[in-house]
Amino acid sequence: MNHRHLLPNEIDLLVDGEAGFGVATLRAHIDECAECRELVEDARVVVDALEALPHFAPDSRLADRVMAQVPVFVPAHVAARDSVAQWLPRAAPARAAAAAIFTAAAGVLTLGLIWLATQGDAAVFMTGLLGDRLRGVVVGAARDLAVSLLGESALAALQATGAIGISLLLAGFVLTAFGTVAGIRRLAAAGRQ
Amino acid sequence: MLRALDLANLPDADVVALALEGRDAAHRELIKRYERPVFSLVFRMVRNRELAEDLTQDTFVKVLSHLDRYRTDFKFSSWLFKIANNVAIDHLRRRQLDTVSIDGSPHATTAGEVDSSRFDISDGSENALEEMEAKELGSAIERAISSLRPEYRSCIMLRHVEGRSYEEIASTLDLPLGTVKTYIHRARHELRRALEHTRE
Repeated sequence: MNHRHLLPNEIDLLVDGEAGFGVATLRAHIDECAECRELVEDARVVVDALEALPHFAPDSRLADRVMAQVPVFVPAHVAARDSVAQWLPRAAPARAAAAAIFTAAAGVLTLGLIWLATQGDAAVFMTGLLGDRLRGVVVGAARDLAVSLLGESALAALQATGAIGISLLLAGFVLTAFGTVAGIRRLAAAGRQ
Repeated sequence: MLRALDLANLPDADVVALALEGRDAAHRELIKRYERPVFSLVFRMVRNRELAEDLTQDTFVKVLSHLDRYRTDFKFSSWLFKIANNVAIDHLRRRQLDTVSIDGSPHATTAGEVDSSRFDISDGSENALEEMEAKELGSAIERAISSLRPEYRSCIMLRHVEGRSYEEIASTLDLPLGTVKTYIHRARHELRRALEHTRE
């Protein structure tokens, strides 16, 4: 029998259930030494009591109270991903069908673009046609707006002055707009002070 | 969208990543997972239910508001316990608290407050005598824990109530490993002495 009694840290090793080198010797010692065995058992009682301690439950509204104080920020890329995801079907077969339709549409569009690229003359003609149409729509809309704002006679006078008159009118408009914005900002700054 | 069922099966690191994406449900899942351990740790530190509720709330607000500072090489629960312990220790340093009976807080002024601050200990034993003895030991050990120094208290609870290793406790509490071992040894020794009368 080893007559040296266990040191406090050796008792801790046994209580913690350590299995490292040298623990077998300690175990052999407590098998033979009643005094050390009692110390280990006493320590185990405390540890068992500690390990049997329950968790306490906080108030059931804790999560709501915490979340009322936590700013939850959704990053832009996540918001964009979510907005796409909400249009996607949830069920796997429906998702597969949607993917097939999307792939088919993308394929048709790509083939159409390739066909257009190979038809150089047709592409130039179509682009010119679309450009003319678009210009006509824009000019017509601008003219209608000018007539409703200035009247037919003022528009005729403006047209008579030519490009210089129109440029002067646009410059006057831009200056007025900038002046208005600057004035509002200055007023707001003065209000804050 | 994420369902609670999906979140419950995810490891902490993944739930934290979802919380960082602004998922409200992920924040709530983290609270749900750790509200009891954190509350128990703080409650046993400050011995007052209302105060423990407030400090637990402060802990979660701090943690969830600064999730971007969480380092993934650290266990989330260790980081959480570190903040909970700091919140409780800071409070104890600011205000010297008297120990509280397991039968309720001395700060309670009404019957309702006494009830709300009372410990509810149950170990689920079938045998009534065993249950009574367990309750008696539970009460005695709760009282004994409350008499420990706060730093011993947090070490012993992390070790035996939360089942943390010595190394984890050292990194959680920012203490040298040797100090943790010493604190736990001394805490066990003090508890053993305090419980001697219950075993006679």
